[in-house]
Amino acid sequence: MPEVGKIDSKQAILLMVIMVLPTGFLFVAAVTAHLARQDGWISILLATLVALLIAWLAVSLGLRFPGKTLFQFAEVILGRWPGKVVAFLYIWWYIHMNAEVLRQYGSLLVAAFMPETPISVFMLLIMAIAAYAVRNGLEVFSRVNQLILPLILVSVVILNILAAPEMNIKQILPVFEHGAVPVVKGAVMPAAWIGEIITMTVLIPYLNKAKEAYRIAVTATLITGFFMLITQLVDIAIFGPITAAWLFPGLDGVRMIHLANFLERLEPVVMVIWVAGVLVKISVFYWAAALGSAQWLELKDYKPLVLPVGVIIYALSIMAHDSLLDLFAFLGMFWGPYALTLFIVGIPLLLLIVAVIRGQGGSRH
Amino acid sequence: MARFIKPLRSRLLGRRKSSSGKDNSSQDQAVDNAFSNQELQNQDLSADLQANLLHIKEILSDCSDVVYREFDFAQDERIKLAIIYVDGMVDKMQITSQIMRSLMLDAPLVEQGEEFTRARALTLIKKRLLPVQQVEETNNLGKVIDAVLSGDTVLLVDGHACAIINASRGWESRKVEESQTEMVVRGPREAFVETIRVNLSLLRRKIKNPNLKIETMRLGEVTKTDVAVVYIKGIVNDKLVTEVKERLNRIKIDAILETGYIEELIEDNPWSPFCSLNHTERPDRVAAQLLEGRVAILVDGTPYALTAPLLFVESLQTPEDYYQRWPISSATRLLRLFTLILSLLAPSLYVAVITYHHEMLPTALLLSLAAQREVVPFPAFIEAFGMEVAFEILREAGIRLPRQVGQAVSIVGALIIGEAAVRAGLVGAGTVIVVALTGIASFAYCYSASISIRLLRFPLLVLAGTLGLYGVICGVLTILVHLATLRSFGVPFLSPVAPLSAGDLKDVAVRVPWWAMLHRPRLIGMANPQREAGGLKPTPPPAGRKQ
Amino acid sequence: MRKLLACLALLIIMAGILSGCWSRKEMSELAIVLGAGIDRTPDGQVRLTLQLARPGALAGAGGEGAGAKEPTTWVISETGSTILDVQRKLAMRISRHINWTHNVIVVFGEEAARHGMRQYTNFFTRSPQTREITWILVAKGQAKDILETTSRLENSSAQDIGYLARAKAGYSVNFKDFKVMLATKGSNPIASRVEIVERGVSPGTEKEKSVKHEGAALTGTAVFREEKLVGWLDESETRGLLWLRGEILRGVITLPSLTDQGKEMSVEIMRGHTEVEPYYDGESVWFVVKIVVEGDLLEQQSSEDITERDVRKAIEKEISRKVEEKARLALEKAQGEYGVDIFDFGVAFHRKYPKIWPELEDRWDEVFAGAYVDFTVEAHLRRSGLIGKRGTER
Repeated sequence: MPEVGKIDSKQAILLMVIMVLPTGFLFVAAVTAHLARQDGWISILLATLVALLIAWLAVSLGLRFPGKTLFQFAEVILGRWPGKVVAFLYIWWYIHMNAEVLRQYGSLLVAAFMPETPISVFMLLIMAIAAYAVRNGLEVFSRVNQLILPLILVSVVILNILAAPEMNIKQILPVFEHGAVPVVKGAVMPAAWIGEIITMTVLIPYLNKAKEAYRIAVTATLITGFFMLITQLVDIAIFGPITAAWLFPGLDGVRMIHLANFLERLEPVVMVIWVAGVLVKISVFYWAAALGSAQWLELKDYKPLVLPVGVIIYALSIMAHDSLLDLFAFLGMFWGPYALTLFIVGIPLLLLIVAVIRGQGGSRH
Repeated sequence: MARFIKPLRSRLLGRRKSSSGKDNSSQDQAVDNAFSNQELQNQDLSADLQANLLHIKEILSDCSDVVYREFDFAQDERIKLAIIYVDGMVDKMQITSQIMRSLMLDAPLVEQGEEFTRARALTLIKKRLLPVQQVEETNNLGKVIDAVLSGDTVLLVDGHACAIINASRGWESRKVEESQTEMVVRGPREAFVETIRVNLSLLRRKIKNPNLKIETMRLGEVTKTDVAVVYIKGIVNDKLVTEVKERLNRIKIDAILETGYIEELIEDNPWSPFCSLNHTERPDRVAAQLLEGRVAILVDGTPYALTAPLLFVESLQTPEDYYQRWPISSATRLLRLFTLILSLLAPSLYVAVITYHHEMLPTALLLSLAAQREVVPFPAFIEAFGMEVAFEILREAGIRLPRQVGQAVSIVGALIIGEAAVRAGLVGAGTVIVVALTGIASFAYCYSASISIRLLRFPLLVLAGTLGLYGVICGVLTILVHLATLRSFGVPFLSPVAPLSAGDLKDVAVRVPWWAMLHRPRLIGMANPQREAGGLKPTPPPAGRKQ
Repeated sequence: MRKLLACLALLIIMAGILSGCWSRKEMSELAIVLGAGIDRTPDGQVRLTLQLARPGALAGAGGEGAGAKEPTTWVISETGSTILDVQRKLAMRISRHINWTHNVIVVFGEEAARHGMRQYTNFFTRSPQTREITWILVAKGQAKDILETTSRLENSSAQDIGYLARAKAGYSVNFKDFKVMLATKGSNPIASRVEIVERGVSPGTEKEKSVKHEGAALTGTAVFREEKLVGWLDESETRGLLWLRGEILRGVITLPSLTDQGKEMSVEIMRGHTEVEPYYDGESVWFVVKIVVEGDLLEQQSSEDITERDVRKAIEKEISRKVEEKARLALEKAQGEYGVDIFDFGVAFHRKYPKIWPELEDRWDEVFAGAYVDFTVEAHLRRSGLIGKRGTER
């Protein structure tokens, strides 16, 4: 087994939450608002419901093969070579996703905070820290997450409360102005984000109590959905239907905080949330990619692979896009459908169906 | 220097480990041979007094503090006796009044009907004529030498290949006084001293329980220092005790002068700036930790005791927290948490905000700070770095000051560095305030943690100066990840926060009242989790009860 | 092997760090912009005026009293084709980095506003340094003149105006509000008007005579149709505007006394609440505006007995009348003279009739101009300060 660490249920929930939230706060709102305008919050609700189904799918699949991750039981279900192809696709997905996240991370920092600094400085440094964390195992970045995520969530709540004077809740009216279709379209990208809960299939073997996996997945999805919903609502309340005019409405919302002539210009708090949250998010996907590679190559330990995988991720993040606008276009148009159909719903559903047909898999619950 | 280059070179050039392994073992041999008394351990005394004395004098040649006193037995002048002791390590009154008096002057030792023979002399002396509180009989030369050098008095009887070791230790030692480094307002003031027996007695007095086990061993090939491992059986996890003893037994070093030597040889994280073992000179603190299921290590010759395992949250705790009532303790704990963060981050944040993130400051503050900085010629980072170094110099000098010049130097420090530098426009007043605050804040919590934090301030300052707030965040995250990787004797360093033991959080940032602290820390006190009965919260008597 | 990698990593990191801290700016390298002004020159170029802080002057200002103070700000202008273009030119005249993060106000000159605001606002919303909570003001005349004034109370006139705007005496608009109003089809933007007026006197000392001062003050509201300035509302009409938009914070209503001729009394408004309800019957649109006012009677030149219920009821009626009067003033100006909906009535209509909105949204201003507006004002007199009935009877 390449990974020897084990984490308990609370840590698992927190890990699954941070896997989605940091970039969810800042990158999703604009795209959803662009498509669904002031009904963006309904899109998020819809996306959360879809994600709950995905969570059920992931856990059902994972619990059929206790002790095996997605990369391993794909071979069991489909046979050695098709299984290896599927596993490779997932490794590619995690690497690609991580490269996108890394690029988002650097882009926000350069665009909004320190424009003169080259983006590679940000990305290299965070990859180095993530590599250090991943190298030391699952337990290490879970512990860091336990320290960081509560602080992040509390800060988000406080920031939203502080922005209250700028909010006008009436701006979410009229509801369903343009019908249900834009709402559904707007739900695709958040669903691809919150649907990353599919990673439970990689995590289940490393839980202390595997039978709590359903509870973990559902709780994590609900928490994630809740926070993204709040953020979307707040953004719409502050900016109205033209929320999409800003690239980062969440950040601009914080910039509007202005209390007592003292509590202003709080966006470095956002920077802290961003850096800390994305570090752990990157660590999770990085770990999944390294672990998957180790299991794919049937190695005993994934530690030697950490550095090569990291280099690939970094290189990909630089090459994939040439500007922030390109990144947004890609995320908004392409990523949602691509991730959802293929990796989040498509392949797992296929695997589950085949496993049921072939009668494979152990304990059903 | 050559000692470092050779292994480095061999490692860089990829030579096989076994070759350097051989070097190591030959080095081991060298330590052993020079000073182990293997030979002595295997030798016995002879029956002839003079032969013994000669032999011992040869071994202890040129040791002018060893005294050899030969005298005759009162009972029978033909029996020669000799005592050997080290002047300065023995209680002379005891020797003269208890050992020598009874042997030289006192009444016969046989009762009516018993016969006195030379063969029985030793036994009779030991049983009837030595009013000494602790004696041991031995025929091993190594033990005899050890005893003499430890402050015991050795009695040799002519005609017997045995020696009697009398406990007679007594030397000049610091008396038990108030701790100089860990002070409390409320609570016991005693601190350990340099004599291990006294220290152990201080512990015994606090825990009068037969389960308080004290196991002694000797470490240090040359110094042969007494080391004691202390634990409470039934509360402590037996595996922990075994682990500690195993690690101690692995030590092969010539000297153990302080617990710090042991600490670095048995700790879990040799490369980390954070300690895995706690050190303290307060017996009440050691006692409390023993009661939680930890193991203590005491070393003769130093007042500092080690306890294992260590958790990071202990740097927020002081013994006084448990003696004062919980509201004030909780408040000061939170304050300490704040000062810990302050002492780590304040200079870095200051430099980061001033140099990179001017938008964070309110306009009025910005303008007034800008007004100050118009005058200062250095960039904020250089200024802060310089001031930090200056403060460290002051602090280090302050520790080593002879008392007479103390006053003058503190005036120099305060006036010159603070006042004059600001007036001259070399540093800004804001920087001085921040650095001073940081320095003071680092004393507000546990000293051993503050050392690690002090070291980490400088890399963070460098990061802040080059990458602003982003650098600080990255630095802090790296430290957090590092902390998350640490374990101390099997217990994760960051518990109970991460991994989370909700019950233990009662004692982390706040201190809940004593009637609520029902359990020992989960991962340390596993063997015996319950420390207190429930329902002890004081409540008014039930209604209707007659007064 | 590990050591080699560690050394390599260290070298890379050091190279990165030591080669330069890219975003680093010492405070003494900053030119802090406190206020900015945009004017349109006769040949169509943009003139940007910057009011920069002089922290050095503030340092010395601690001890001095009424003596000659160094000016605490420095104003400089330049022209160019876009704002960024002008900034580049200014960078060659200003010895430090221009830093927008503490900018409090942006004043637009009348010409620029009449020509169209969109041309100039994009810079302020795109740039990460500029903030959306900066106040937008329109100057009667040139923005440059406004920025070149000084303040007697605050350190700079920009901060002075900023505080005035924050106090919300008129209708204060920041960039975010302006952008939202501009983008919404059911409303048109407004902004505070600023002009130079007489502001107080410095009392004389033995050596100097007293000096009269002029400074910038907020004197009303600028009305836009889409992005172009079409007219002004004066201070009275601005009060009406505030009532209609429901943004009354504080204020005073003065009514003539009920019993004594020629004497007045003043009620301070504590709370005000407005609701606009649109109605549509397929052909015409009308609105009912419901206003609720709560006030305290804080000054009475006459001596009616306000402890009597009837008297209070009469006062409340008078308050309602006055509020409606003010609101109608503003409404008439907007509907009649300018023909623009500046009260967000269109937004209310949109929310209530989302299906019908698409038909009307393109000609909403016309519809608004012809709409009938009915008022119901409810006034409550809650308190009367610390005195009940005036004790002037002997």
